[in-house]
Amino acid sequence: MLVIISMAWRNIWRNKARSFVIMFSVALGIFAGLMVMALYKGMMRDRIKALIYQETGHLQLHNPSFKNDYEVKFTIDNLANVNNLLTQNRHVKKFTLRSIAQGMLATTNGSAGLQINGIDPASENNCSELNKKIIIGQVFSNQKKYEIIIGQKLSKKMKISLGDKVVLTFTDHTDEIVSGAFRVVGIMQTSNSAWEERNVYVQRNELNELLGLPNGAHEIAVILNSNEELPVAMMDLKSKMKSVLLEDWKKLSPETELMVDTVDITSYIIMVIILIALAFGIINTMLMSILERTREIGMMMALGMNKLKLFVLVLMETTFLTLSGLPLGIIAAISLSNYIAENGFSFGANSEEMMRKYGFGTTIYTDFAYEKLAMTILFVVTTAFISCLYPAIRALKLNPMEALRK
Amino acid sequence: METIIDAHNISKIYNKESIPVYAINQVHLHIEKGEFTALVGPSGSGKTTLLNLIGGLDRADEGSISINGEEITQMSSGDLIDFRLKNIGFVFQSYNLIPVLTAKENVEFIMQLQGINEKDRIERVKLLFKQIGLEDKMDYRPSQLSGGQQQRVAVARALASRPQFVLADEPTANLDSASANNLLDIMWKLNQEEHITFIFSTHDQRVIDRAKRVITLVDGRIVSDTNQVPINH
Ligand SMILES: Nc1ncnc2c1ncn2[C@@H]1O[C@H](COP(=O)(O)OP(=O)(O)OP(=O)(O)O)[C@@H](O)[C@H]1O
Ligand SMILES: [Mg+2]
Repeated sequence: MLVIISMAWRNIWRNKARSFVIMFSVALGIFAGLMVMALYKGMMRDRIKALIYQETGHLQLHNPSFKNDYEVKFTIDNLANVNNLLTQNRHVKKFTLRSIAQGMLATTNGSAGLQINGIDPASENNCSELNKKIIIGQVFSNQKKYEIIIGQKLSKKMKISLGDKVVLTFTDHTDEIVSGAFRVVGIMQTSNSAWEERNVYVQRNELNELLGLPNGAHEIAVILNSNEELPVAMMDLKSKMKSVLLEDWKKLSPETELMVDTVDITSYIIMVIILIALAFGIINTMLMSILERTREIGMMMALGMNKLKLFVLVLMETTFLTLSGLPLGIIAAISLSNYIAENGFSFGANSEEMMRKYGFGTTIYTDFAYEKLAMTILFVVTTAFISCLYPAIRALKLNPMEALRK
Repeated sequence: METIIDAHNISKIYNKESIPVYAINQVHLHIEKGEFTALVGPSGSGKTTLLNLIGGLDRADEGSISINGEEITQMSSGDLIDFRLKNIGFVFQSYNLIPVLTAKENVEFIMQLQGINEKDRIERVKLLFKQIGLEDKMDYRPSQLSGGQQQRVAVARALASRPQFVLADEPTANLDSASANNLLDIMWKLNQEEHITFIFSTHDQRVIDRAKRVITLVDGRIVSDTNQVPINH
């Protein structure tokens, strides 16, 4: 067997240029596939991070009836008790309370339907990094009443600038329509422009006052010590709080979970497509090399080389040809991926809008998918095996006598 | 004497559907151990076909061939490969050696296919290269050897597996007369000293003169079969 392996190795170097082209293609294909995976993984990681730490938190609590119609009267029951339980829970790092009203924002230029979030600025900064999202102005000044923070997208769309007054209209807990004038003190930019357009922030106590719910809250966003603790924390909290609806970020943002799953599958599909393309190149190369060696193969069969050994020879040649490019592709992908993980990769200004629309930052940091490396190598080995089959069959079908006459 | 090839009434027919061509036509052939036999005849007379039939590379359409008492006409192609490996040495007209292996490795290759251990292989390779006079070129690649040297290596390779007999289809066709003579000298010496059976086809009168037995084919039939005193010096 050893002699066959050594023969296979020498055979692939008989046509150096051709072998190099294949090896380089394999390296390039693997490199591209792994880079796509790293890019996707980095994007997804950052997207989930942004989702948890800037939007939803790890989990949220609501009154079980609240989300049906977002009716103001469905505040969280037993808020003091819930507050206590959260403070004491060892998985919970921090949390913030919100009051929520669906309403309308009107200016002299027009109006827009949106969600009014009443927040406690200190804990909101802490839980969703609100202060970091403000690009113009500030969080709340606390000097004047009725201040509002709006999103950049909304400010552009409705031509609202810092210091402008807007009127918010919504219904209170008795279904009476109330409205109030708010002055814009901050404009925020988030990584999710669609969300940004439909949400504004005011102070919770002020919103509560207008809603007629002195101490109520509709939503509690919770940050845990880590995402790993999520399942345990969910179980733990669920057992202690019977009358609240507990939802984790996957439930809160099903589109993100779907995206994670889709991207996972997509990266495999891309890999498979790359490998299929490579397989054709490999099959072609091996067929050419078999055809060129018709006499030689016929001679070996005449001398007594059996079909199994001939198959092993072709298989080994294909494997060497395919696997030679593999380390290069992997090393190149790891290197570039680590570089981008450090320094980031910026899609030009043109794509910024598009990226933000889907909730992605404009600078992408890759995250090399080491956990998929074994799978990738397995895929490549399988490709080599499948690609060798047709050329091998062609070789095995050679009739030694006819091959020798050529 | 010991019979090693016994071909009985064999025929090989091409173009069975249209106008049949009898490449070999009802041939009887006996070869005994230690023969040094030349197969001669005009081009297209069936020399290659006959050698392929008795070498198990081709199947006869009629008749039976037994080698050392074993009937090969009914063997499966897989069994035939094994049978060839164990029993028959081949020297082809050209393109005999595996180009990526050195001369030594080419000879060793057959023994590796047979599963002979390394110690025995090395010993035998040394002996064979001594016999073909190429001890100093063992590590050369075929492309670095002359045509005559390549054919000598092919003879060494054919003998590596200690076959029952060696079939050589025009082994000297591509050689100049000095190289051809040298190759025949080696074959003759092996025949005389080790009783190796050689059956070779040729067009070359000087090669024919060196055979102990000359079988002449015309149109797939044996037209003469004579023993002669070989001119070997
Ligand atoms: N595959 C084939 N199909 C049809 N006819 C064939 C085939 N192979 C050989 N023949 C015919 O069989 C006959 C014998 O051919 P063969 O090659 O055995 O002759 P040869 O004596 O070896 O000739 P040469 O001296 O030229 O090598 C020829 O008429 C040839 O045309
Ligand atoms: Mg011939």
